[in-house]
Amino acid sequence: MKSFTHLRVASGYSFKYGTAHADQLVERAAEFEMSALALTDMDTMAGAIRFTKSCEANGIAPILGINLSFIQKKYRITLLAQSGHLDSLYRLVTAVNLENSENLLTHSLLERFSQYSKNLLVLHGPESQLASAISARKSAEALSIYNATRELFADQAIECVSHLIRGDGQFSTSHAARALGFARDNHLSAVLSNAVRMLDRSDGPVADVLDAARKLVPLSNKSVSRQNSEAYFKDSSEMSYLSDEISRLAGERDGRSLLNTTTAWAERALLSPRKDVGIGAIHLPDAAALGAKSQGELTAQLRSRCEAGLSRRYVGSKSVVAASRLEEELSAIRTLGYESYFLTVADITDLARNRGIRVAARGSGAGSLICHVLGISGVEPITHGLLMERFCSPLRGELPDIDIDVESARRLEIYDAVFEKYGQRCATVSMVETYRSRHAIRDVGAALGISPMEIDLIAKSMPHIRSSNIPKALANLPELKDLNLNTPILKMAIELAGRLDSLPRHLSMHPCAIVLSDIGLGDYAPQQINASGYPMVQFDKDDVEAIGLLKLDVLGVRMQSAISYTLSEIERIEGAALDIDAIALDDPATFDLIKSARTLGIFQIESPGQRELVGKFAPETFNDLIIDISLFRPGPVKSDMITPFLATKYGLRVRPVIHADLESILQETQGVVVFHEQVIRIISTMTGISLAEADEKRRELGDIASQQLVCDWFYPAALARGYTSTVVAEVWEILRAFASFGFCKAHAAAFALPTYQSSWLKTHHTAAFLAGVLTHEPGMYPKRLILDEARQWGIQIAPIDVNLSDATYRVEKSSKETRAPYLAPNVLSSGAELKLPDARGFAIRMALSDIDGIDGKEIKSIISGRPYLDLADFVYRSGASRPTTESLLTIGAFDDLHKLSTSNINRRDLALHLQDLYRLAGSKSATSQGQMSFELQPEKFEPSGLPDITASEQVKSEIDILGMDVSSHLLEFYGDFLNKIGAVRSCDLIKHRSGTSVLVAGVKVALQTPPVRSGRRVMFLTIDDGHGCNDITFFEDKQADFATVLRNSWLFLVRGEIRRTGPRGISLLGTGAWELANSHEKWRNLAVYGASGT
Amino acid sequence: MFEESITPMPASSPSGARVLAPEGEPIEFIYNGRRFHIHAIVSRWRESGGWWNRISDGKNRVTESTIFDDGARAIWRVEAAPEGALTTFEIELDEVTKTWLIRPTSRPQ
Repeated sequence: MKSFTHLRVASGYSFKYGTAHADQLVERAAEFEMSALALTDMDTMAGAIRFTKSCEANGIAPILGINLSFIQKKYRITLLAQSGHLDSLYRLVTAVNLENSENLLTHSLLERFSQYSKNLLVLHGPESQLASAISARKSAEALSIYNATRELFADQAIECVSHLIRGDGQFSTSHAARALGFARDNHLSAVLSNAVRMLDRSDGPVADVLDAARKLVPLSNKSVSRQNSEAYFKDSSEMSYLSDEISRLAGERDGRSLLNTTTAWAERALLSPRKDVGIGAIHLPDAAALGAKSQGELTAQLRSRCEAGLSRRYVGSKSVVAASRLEEELSAIRTLGYESYFLTVADITDLARNRGIRVAARGSGAGSLICHVLGISGVEPITHGLLMERFCSPLRGELPDIDIDVESARRLEIYDAVFEKYGQRCATVSMVETYRSRHAIRDVGAALGISPMEIDLIAKSMPHIRSSNIPKALANLPELKDLNLNTPILKMAIELAGRLDSLPRHLSMHPCAIVLSDIGLGDYAPQQINASGYPMVQFDKDDVEAIGLLKLDVLGVRMQSAISYTLSEIERIEGAALDIDAIALDDPATFDLIKSARTLGIFQIESPGQRELVGKFAPETFNDLIIDISLFRPGPVKSDMITPFLATKYGLRVRPVIHADLESILQETQGVVVFHEQVIRIISTMTGISLAEADEKRRELGDIASQQLVCDWFYPAALARGYTSTVVAEVWEILRAFASFGFCKAHAAAFALPTYQSSWLKTHHTAAFLAGVLTHEPGMYPKRLILDEARQWGIQIAPIDVNLSDATYRVEKSSKETRAPYLAPNVLSSGAELKLPDARGFAIRMALSDIDGIDGKEIKSIISGRPYLDLADFVYRSGASRPTTESLLTIGAFDDLHKLSTSNINRRDLALHLQDLYRLAGSKSATSQGQMSFELQPEKFEPSGLPDITASEQVKSEIDILGMDVSSHLLEFYGDFLNKIGAVRSCDLIKHRSGTSVLVAGVKVALQTPPVRSGRRVMFLTIDDGHGCNDITFFEDKQADFATVLRNSWLFLVRGEIRRTGPRGISLLGTGAWELANSHEKWRNLAVYGASGT
Repeated sequence: MFEESITPMPASSPSGARVLAPEGEPIEFIYNGRRFHIHAIVSRWRESGGWWNRISDGKNRVTESTIFDDGARAIWRVEAAPEGALTTFEIELDEVTKTWLIRPTSRPQ
């Protein structure tokens, strides 16, 4: 018997319809010894590349098609690409998606795009208009439907499908037989399919749940259309049996003819994974896209741009080294033919910079000198020992990957610029959202009509895991102890949720990737318009890489926006622009600030863990920053690479020298292997292979299976070069251990640059930088903590003022007296002194956008009406709503305008006056927005004699309206209490000995319970007290007593033991925690009691 | 029209009827004590579904391979005769319990 070919198969990419993964279907076809298989998902081709890859791996010839609505939503047909014409199918699918709002294929679309449809085969199956006419016994009508598209397609066939449904309706054997009879009567082709949507007969319940989820209805006899489970992947003999049954019922002797036509049609649509689908191809932007006429011109363009960049950036002896490195890199690029890749990325970074948008490369691309001289990456690769080979080499058959970081606030501007310039050559990339446990449980629960409360409980307590792990997870969740998971319905729900595991659910836009290609992009991938209105290829990031499109990740980074804002504030205040990208990387003041661990707001090193690390490490150079960033990752932390590193750095350990040849490689990291680049160099040095080859070996180290192969090669190769077996064994041990923890130095260096830049800005332009941080919130801390940070450097926090505040935080020069800036105590042992910023003389003006409930339109209108003469004028002209105006008044935004500090009226009088104003307006005709027109001026207002609001009332309103304490730190109200009980200010902790038990107080900044090495739960509490942050660690033994307080309180009194960890590193080991207000209350009572008692 | 003439299952065959189906497809069966030989399969179909109803009904039949009782049935409408005139039967295989049901859809002559 010849093998059958399924021409109509829906995979899970037929969202919420198909129950099987594309690769499962392919594997099943291989098991059944089928030679070809089609994928014809509903309305999308998102599975095409994965399917094709799987076909190639299983030795099956792929056929690609799509099942679409045709003419009317309810009628569907299946299109197949003829061999060699997949591009036509892509183009037509794109046309349907872009030109018809309902994604409906229409006659007029077919006529407009007949140059594509003419290369396609069409199957009129049971759901087609044609079949419905046959079924209604309207043969003439059926024939005219067939003839209407006769010229528009390469060929058409009647598709016979029997799912063995009872009776003679759709998908019954007699329906299929009648379709076959019609084909025979009119001499038309007929093929057999099984309209597959599941892998096995037992997948029926999964199909039902998907149907219910798609239609958003619970399962019921009415809502389910499935009558049996026959739409599964049948083998050749089952299909042959069906063919016989259908054919006999149509009056034929057997099903052979039907099977033969099916095979013949399959053969017309076979595709080559390489030639047709383009797996392994490369389609970079063409020369014309970059203003060149030929590949040769591109090569020349790249060279001249690189050389120009080189001479700008390198002088003297460095330029000689750089020039020879450039030659090497250019020759590698030439071999690879990647000129257009680099020129395109450079072009896009230029597009951004020309619009004044900050751009920085991230990732291994920083290792390439070409990236540096083209302005893609700001890090100088030669000084830092970064390698091109780690990024891109002729030995690797894949496109390099460059990611660029841009200002988050202006990311889409870059998209717009790229689309404007590259047009049809670019698109966004899709992302397949798959069923994870929470979604799966929710959809199953809704389908089964399980009470929403129960489902919610299960879904919410569900960690983000694969849904096949659900049963195990549920058994371990204490929250679910009270739920009986053994009821039949919950058991079934959990089983079903597991079966939905990782099925595609929805196609959405990848958050940051775009693809660029040549003018033929539309031939390589079908497109649709995504929710944001950009064209999007239906392939995901792995797919586009597989077919060789240039994928560029454009990531929005808030720190870049904050830096950009800082620079604009500096220019506004100082009157001169600052080129942050040109600052020297060895500024001692900047490293003093970093060493002080006062790094709040700085990129990458502001977290409690990093503050502890920089305190211990005390980085002194840019390279130290790179090391710091590389060490602060789960792997190195877990394997404790930091301890030997620091021990050597501080002379507590003699650095082991393995071999003199490796000294230059390992010196920078105190003999500890931290970077991929070091591994590459070690391998290359000890075996004599090139860096590019060494990188291939490094990659193999990452995989346990191939690790042994590398080992088997490394020993003889290194021994042959004269290294002793001890050295070889020792080095191998390092390489093996390192495999999982190393970091790409280029990547860390790319991160270290904004880290340094933000540190530099914080050091030299503290107010402007913190205004940038407050405006763009790049970090992990609440704004109130950043405000407090500003106060500690002597910056005045200026309140919101209707005439002075903007939408964003502004820097002002100020003559107001502020507190003295923070001074780091000297280290007693070394006498090392830190020079820290003094930002007195500056103020940060609070922003209007922080008012609770205010919107952008209101802010704009308030600003455009400035200046205001008085409250009445503001109410009259500003366009602000009444709640906004009241909020502004409550927090003191009119205080200066009415000179409250020097007059006899106070804010309560002002509030009464505002009510008068609104009453007056209300007696006229108030508008619905709470705005009004004044014709009568209210009487001049007088002091009412009410007391002014107190400082604590002021702070309370600030917390209510702005969400932060502005006029004074929350803890100031407890100052007396804290002094009396001897609590220590955070900045003074360092003056105490290690091991001392102290009391500290503060406002909760963060409470984290990260997984740690031992597996025991540790709680990290960060609090601030107006003098900096305290980081307190609570181990398991203390959690029973204090976990509830830690979780539920905001203001804390904490008892802890001081741990000194380095020159300026300090942490507290928590031994007690109490709610501050409660403690205060108790103390007061005690004080009263104590007083009366004596 | 066949549906109307279906006679209820004889109460005497609770464990299912006896059907000879060596290749999965019925050839012979015993009905009312008489052996019938199948001359032709008129049509066949399959039915399943409603698994979710059986949870609340408490009628869910859990098997070794699945906890979903989808009520899968295979039905053959056949012409069969012990002797004399042909009679039409529906032979149903309950795939969950692997038991056979036989119902005549036209009365034996």
